[in-house]
Amino acid sequence: MNTKITEQNNELVAQFEGRLDTAAAPQTEKELAPLADCAGKNIVLDCNALEYISSSGLRLFLGVLKGAKAKGSHVYITGMNDDIRNVFNMTGLTNLFEFR
Amino acid sequence: MKERNKFSKWFRSLQTRSSLALLITAAIFVQLSGAIQYFYARNGIRKAVQQQARTEIQVRNLEIQNVVTNVETAVNNMQLILNWSVDNPEGIYGVLETIIRTNPTITGCAIAFEPGYYPDKGRWFEPFAGRDENGNIVHRQIGSQEHDYFNAEWYKVSRETDSASWTEPYFDDAGSKALVCSYTMPVYDSKGRRAGTFCSDVSLDFIIDLFGAKNSAYTYLASRTGHLIASPDKTSVMNATLDDVANYFNDSMIDRVNAAMLAGDSGDAELHSKDGEKSYIFYAPVEGNTGWSMAIIYPDKEIYQGVRSVGRILLILTLVGFGFLIYIMWRTVRGFKKLQAVNAEKERIGGELRIASGIQMGMLPKTFPPYPDRDEVTMAGTLVPAKEVGGDLYDFYIRDEKLFFCVGDVSGKGVPASLVMAVTRSLFRTVSSHEDSPERVMKQMNNAMSEMNESSMFVTLFIGVLDLHTGRVLYCNAGHNPPVLIGKETRFIEQDSNIPVGLMPAWDYTLQDGQMESGDLLFLYTDGLTEAENTVHGQFGEERMMERLRSLGHTPHAVVDGMTEAVHTFVADAEPSDDLTMLAIQFVHPIEENEGRKSEGGGRSITLQNDVQQVPQLAAFVEEVAEGVGLNPSTAMSLNLAMEEAVVNVMNYAYPAGTQGDIDITACKTKGMLTFTITDSGTPFDPTAKSDPDITLAAEDRPIGGLGIMLVRQLMDEVLYERKDNQNILTLKKKI
Repeated sequence: MNTKITEQNNELVAQFEGRLDTAAAPQTEKELAPLADCAGKNIVLDCNALEYISSSGLRLFLGVLKGAKAKGSHVYITGMNDDIRNVFNMTGLTNLFEFR
Repeated sequence: MKERNKFSKWFRSLQTRSSLALLITAAIFVQLSGAIQYFYARNGIRKAVQQQARTEIQVRNLEIQNVVTNVETAVNNMQLILNWSVDNPEGIYGVLETIIRTNPTITGCAIAFEPGYYPDKGRWFEPFAGRDENGNIVHRQIGSQEHDYFNAEWYKVSRETDSASWTEPYFDDAGSKALVCSYTMPVYDSKGRRAGTFCSDVSLDFIIDLFGAKNSAYTYLASRTGHLIASPDKTSVMNATLDDVANYFNDSMIDRVNAAMLAGDSGDAELHSKDGEKSYIFYAPVEGNTGWSMAIIYPDKEIYQGVRSVGRILLILTLVGFGFLIYIMWRTVRGFKKLQAVNAEKERIGGELRIASGIQMGMLPKTFPPYPDRDEVTMAGTLVPAKEVGGDLYDFYIRDEKLFFCVGDVSGKGVPASLVMAVTRSLFRTVSSHEDSPERVMKQMNNAMSEMNESSMFVTLFIGVLDLHTGRVLYCNAGHNPPVLIGKETRFIEQDSNIPVGLMPAWDYTLQDGQMESGDLLFLYTDGLTEAENTVHGQFGEERMMERLRSLGHTPHAVVDGMTEAVHTFVADAEPSDDLTMLAIQFVHPIEENEGRKSEGGGRSITLQNDVQQVPQLAAFVEEVAEGVGLNPSTAMSLNLAMEEAVVNVMNYAYPAGTQGDIDITACKTKGMLTFTITDSGTPFDPTAKSDPDITLAAEDRPIGGLGIMLVRQLMDEVLYERKDNQNILTLKKKI
């Protein structure tokens, strides 16, 4: 599992690659720490290369969302495959995030 | 009132009416035949009476004739002597006395001479001889002015006819001084000149005696002028005539009869008196020249009195008989009613028993094979009660991939046993629905049944739980016949001695276990099999059972059917002595069945530690299983996700932080179903008890946790948790 954060067009872009399961979640959580400093910038979670996500991963996403909202930023998710989108549907997270 | 109602109810009933109709018909026939009998009897009697009348007339005729002829003959024989005596007047008395002496019938006799025949004797001369009061023969001259016989009817008649003849009856005031009838004969002297009239008196008393009242018949004798010479009523003699007889009857027929009698004819006729009473008259003339006629009257009443009284007695007897018959019939019908009521009651009970039997049979699973879509288990069973309802039971059902089954036998038979059987079966279902271990099921059932067991009935019960994945059998035997395992060898399974259920509360039942290999058969039965008796009270026995089991086919149906047939052959015509129950369970190992396709993912397992860092191994395992059964990537991912969530849950919660523990994960594929079993030895933890989080909340309000188990529920088709043998067992199933 690799996570890479870049800044593009005044947006913080987090690129996920691989499986975001429970085992990978602690590491990923650390890697996502920079997103906390997002004042004035929107966040994009790029899931084009994300193969798998479990509830641990969802919790990370939810944490990012909560942090961003508190600072008035938007969180966009992009490039989700159908299986992952299905997981979002099942857990009701589709209603919370914005998708590109 | 009640009695009356009872009677009218009785009277209205069909049996009563039909028997009554029968009775009335019989009565009519009896009376009819009586009437016919009576009619013929009357005719017979009538003929007999006619015959009797004729005979009587004949007999009297003969008697009278006897008298008459005697007199006539005697007198005729004396004619010459009498004629002679006319010329020898001094011998007259001697002649007359001789006549009296030699003819007892003649009460007196005299010669009434012509007026002044003997100049010296005066105008009236009538020498007479007769008997005095003492019977001595006496004689005297009776002719005198007072006894002026010339004017007597007989004298005149004799002179006119100048021949012998009988006079009308008259009272002889001079000679015999009695009611007499005289035979008169002219007497001549030697010159042939008429000298007088010889007159011989015959006392009518003699004839009257003949006509004395004899039975009921009224017999009378009439002279040629119609005077009654003799009749039972002596006062009527000489005072009454045939006209008086005619007056008694109000019938023109009597006039004809009288005329016929006077004309000397004979015959008979039917007469009616003024009172309307019927009589029969028979009449005939007396032979000879008396000109008398005799009649005999039989009152109808008297003739038929006998037959009438017999008829009356018969009628009374018949009525009494019928009364008695009606009483008997009433009693019979009442008895019949009672019998009917008893029968109806029996019928009702029979009907209810049939219904009860239906209900009881309805409690047992009867469709065999019961689980046609399952390969792991096939079964066959039978329960035949000895009576309508029985005390045997068997039951089984599948829960959590385990077959719960039991076979039991309630002490006793019939309805009481069937009630206990129903209770036992319900308890088995209720208790085993939340309790997995047979000995605990048994214990709870025993406690429940012991408490309410007031009739001291008990149940021998065998409870088993077969793990359909592994073939492991947990069982508890409460005094029941040991089941037989038919596998490589055929043998009874081991059994601890436990008391039957219902005898003593709080008994600690022991748990036993065994292993069924694929294809093994477990045969359960009740003592109705081993103790089945034939006509000579020999028992089927365990030995015979084992011997048969070894030779029968190796499927549940073959075993149950073959054993049923064996018992029937053995028992033959004997009454079934006990309920007969058999249950055969065959286990086929699902993994072994899939042995050739192990690469498809059946029967794999992995053991992880309670460390989330081992999730990738889990992922690899699930991936492998999914690949093995050929699942598409999407489904594989769903499985992966569900398994991760479930296992992580266990890892996080089953073992207290800082302790280590293993988590066993097995996967097996049965028909259309992929089953994962997650087993750990941690603290009791039921992830399914958690409720799903509210996913409609806004991001700020959403709790971070709780999503995992929700995903598991949504991704899998079945999620089961059980705590057993100090283990948490979580089973996840996915239809594939």
